[in-house]
Amino acid sequence: MIEASELQCERCGVALELKKTYFSYLGHAFHTDLPRCPVCGQVYIDEELVKGRMSRVERELEDK
Amino acid sequence: MSDAQGVIRHTVSVCPVCLRRIPAVQRRHDGAVWLEKQCPQHGFFSTPIWRDKLDLELWRAGVKPLMEGENPHCPHGCGICPDHKQGTCCALLEVTPRCNLACQFCFADDEMPEPDLGQLRAAIDHIASAGRPTLQLSGGEPSLRDDLPELVAYAKQQGCSYVQLNSNGLRLAEDEEYVAALAEAGLDFVFMQFDGTDDGVYQQLRGRPLLTEKLRAVEHCDAHHIGVTFVPTVVRGVNTAQLGDILRLAVSLSPAVRGVHFQPVSFLGRYPAAPAALDRYTLDELLTDLVAQSGGRIELANFRSSCCDHPLCGFHGGFIVLEDGSLLPLTQPQQTCCCGSDQPPQPEQSCCGGSERAPQSALQEGCCCGSGKTAWQSDNCCSGQLEATQQQSCCAGGEVQVLPCACDEISRTTAAQNREYIGRRWQRNLQAEQESNGQDISSLSGFLTRARSHAFTISAMAFQDAWNLDIERLRQCSLHVYADGMLKPFCSHYLTAAEAAHD
Ligand code: SF4
Ligand code: SF4
Ligand SMILES: [Zn+2]
Ligand SMILES: [Zn+2]
Ligand SMILES: [Zn+2]
Repeated sequence: MIEASELQCERCGVALELKKTYFSYLGHAFHTDLPRCPVCGQVYIDEELVKGRMSRVERELEDK
Repeated sequence: MSDAQGVIRHTVSVCPVCLRRIPAVQRRHDGAVWLEKQCPQHGFFSTPIWRDKLDLELWRAGVKPLMEGENPHCPHGCGICPDHKQGTCCALLEVTPRCNLACQFCFADDEMPEPDLGQLRAAIDHIASAGRPTLQLSGGEPSLRDDLPELVAYAKQQGCSYVQLNSNGLRLAEDEEYVAALAEAGLDFVFMQFDGTDDGVYQQLRGRPLLTEKLRAVEHCDAHHIGVTFVPTVVRGVNTAQLGDILRLAVSLSPAVRGVHFQPVSFLGRYPAAPAALDRYTLDELLTDLVAQSGGRIELANFRSSCCDHPLCGFHGGFIVLEDGSLLPLTQPQQTCCCGSDQPPQPEQSCCGGSERAPQSALQEGCCCGSGKTAWQSDNCCSGQLEATQQQSCCAGGEVQVLPCACDEISRTTAAQNREYIGRRWQRNLQAEQESNGQDISSLSGFLTRARSHAFTISAMAFQDAWNLDIERLRQCSLHVYADGMLKPFCSHYLTAAEAAHD
């Protein structure tokens, strides 16, 4: 996994920080720590999250 | 939609007496939907298939009716013929005709000769070559074979995804060493007959009290990490008032017990008398009664009709047992599309077909949430909809919305995917059990861990018999019995004619 501090916000030019972030996914709410821009609040979602854990959540929820 | 006579659907069935293929209709009258058919020789037959406790058309989830000329040889063309619509999800192998109980109802064939180890190995070779299905060791009572652990090990070695034992639990209760040997051989889970929470039910259905033995069998399986799923045969007036009690007991035994699989009684093989209308306990009755008896733990919206098999064959709901013993539902409601968009499914399919999917190569600016913020790096954008493809990100005002469309996944739903999903939940997962203690279920990792350690599945299958057989259902069956060198859909293999059946 990429370290949050290695990522910069394209627009604000500042380093991202790991922040507890809430997801709403198929009607379920989860939180996990994600790199976020301290200025504009955008969140970076890396591939490990989407292809790894989120697709596992998807499989659990989608039930097929 | 129905015509003047109340006919809502046409299909094909068999005559319960001579088993010849005859046309049939589903007709709504007297508060139920009946399967009705006329044999030129043996007359008219009518049996309830739905009692309108739930909306039948929603339940069908858009599955198409049997059309004129389709599956012309069904059900007499089995082995799996080229017209069959589903692969082998589970393959059932009878390893012995012997049994240590004499139940009122039993589908098994007690006249076959005892197969030897060589024959069973050859059968397993054949089954494993049919795409790594789950192997169900069945009987008779399979645990009467002392060499069962060898068969389990052989099936795993030949590549069966999961090995399941269908058992009444008696030997598992009295012989812990045997349980240990099965676990050692790689047995994944046991489907254990479990008809009720008091001995009156066992006395009636199985001829003697059995509850203590059932619970000891669970203890032994627990000690050796073999997942147990309770399988009640549901008979109106015998245990239909205990559905909620069975569920509560099963949940209290999580993670050792992985779920309950209800089987409304059907009239195959051995049964006391030909069924009267009231003997039919339909799926919609079962599900509504179960929910009503659950004390608010589960809701109708937590369940879906079968989608690997035909919707009228069963239902399932996935849950997680939380630390306080409550059930967190995972299965999405029936009315919404499988992809998680709230578009209703199109009539001809159970998925919106991707119409709600985000565009593949969307722009780099303008976040998907429509806020005008810049999307990140190589991300896709969903054009203002809160639905996304992979690698998409959204700021959504600090709350991240990730709703990947699963349309592609669903349309590829095969017997294999269904089996992987189901099998994983029926298995124990010791590593997850160790990690799950005290974890926060609302965190992503806590959820994923507990979904593995304390998965709980509530499901049902309404086996068909000569009275209610519907070729539209049968042609989509994924549970196949291996016999005489071939695989056959379960309800075709065990189909028994009325008169020959109960002598
Ligand atoms: S049940 Fe399936 S395999 Fe058997 S005849 Fe019908 S379509 Fe063919
Ligand atoms: S075994 Fe019978 S009830 Fe089950 S899916 Fe096959 S046809 Fe349907
Ligand atoms: Zn920024
Ligand atoms: Zn006939
Ligand atoms: Zn869809």
